[in-house]
Amino acid sequence: MTGTTAQATAAAKVSALQAALRAENAAVYGYGVVGAHLTGTALAAATSDWIAHQVARDSLEAMLRSSGSRPVAAAVAYRLPHPVHTPAAAMLLAVTLEDKVAAAYLGLVALPGAAIRELGARAVIAAAIRAASWRGKTVAFPGFAAGALSPASR
Amino acid sequence: MPADRTRRAVLVATAVSLPLLAVSGCKGVGALAAPPSPAPDVAVLRSAIAAEEVMIARYDAVMTRSASLAEGLRPLRAEHRQHLAQLRSRLIVPPGSAAAPPSPSALSPSGPASHGQVPAGQASHGQASHGQAPHGQAPHGQAPHGQAPHGQAPHGQAAHGQVPAGPGSVPSGAAAAIPFLQAAERAAAATLLHQLAAVSPSLAQLMASVAASEATHVAALTAAGGTGQA
Repeated sequence: MTGTTAQATAAAKVSALQAALRAENAAVYGYGVVGAHLTGTALAAATSDWIAHQVARDSLEAMLRSSGSRPVAAAVAYRLPHPVHTPAAAMLLAVTLEDKVAAAYLGLVALPGAAIRELGARAVIAAAIRAASWRGKTVAFPGFAAGALSPASR
Repeated sequence: MPADRTRRAVLVATAVSLPLLAVSGCKGVGALAAPPSPAPDVAVLRSAIAAEEVMIARYDAVMTRSASLAEGLRPLRAEHRQHLAQLRSRLIVPPGSAAAPPSPSALSPSGPASHGQVPAGQASHGQASHGQAPHGQAPHGQAPHGQAPHGQAPHGQAAHGQVPAGPGSVPSGAAAAIPFLQAAERAAAATLLHQLAAVSPSLAQLMASVAASEATHVAALTAAGGTGQA
């Protein structure tokens, strides 16, 4: 019984880590597109964020390998959520990428265990800070879909 | 005079016995209903709710004193109100359950019954009543540092001068208000992070999201301050 529970917990952890890795892989690809349409300080910010996602990807892959799992591979290319031909569209893509990354890391926060929850929460915070920077404003519930947690009153 | 004293005694007796009636009266229902939130969630939720109430009171105080900041701060305060509403919606305590901590009204036993509805942090509005540090709110995380404030202050007692215990300690100048709010946001986020392990998965996710929102407020406050203070 305990063994079954432990197996289920381990499987849930691997699944959440793989989901976070998929989001990071998409972000690494996506920031390449973002950076291609930006210049100056915006390009510098995109480059910095791109590197942050590569570091996070490496860290997730290492965690998965150390638990005996094979990390999911990045796709060769990703379908963009919208056409990106302008700096504004590039920044919008960065927001979308960060929102998806934050949402994925919220999956780690739902796992049992203080360390993995804190790791997930810190990643949600980092993604939220980057998203707010690209968005130009903050949101009440980073990582949750817009409106998902809005109160009944409007 | 004796008649007046008698009446007062009756009033006091009523104020005291009402909560007891409420508790015992609802026990039967509470025993039948399944508790919606596990006990650790209730305790953490209450401290998170108190922290959001104090944060909103701080924004209120700053916005009242510094009209120049009010517009920039309004969206951030609105997000705190969303946090508060969402946290409150998760708090469904079976009446009379053992998990229920002392209600705020217990702080002022001689006060009217409606006192129980006033968030502890707002009691000190206007007057900086240091002796009346809000017992009801979590002592953790009120310190203006990102680190874990465990053990920094005696339990339930704000270290006067160091810790922004409530809106009463909000600095008056607009220049000082921004760093004050930033410190409060950082501390609030850090407190939420330290409480993640104890709660249910869905509450942990909400708390992580709220912490992330508060973390983004730090940079937003710099922008709202206008002059680009760190």
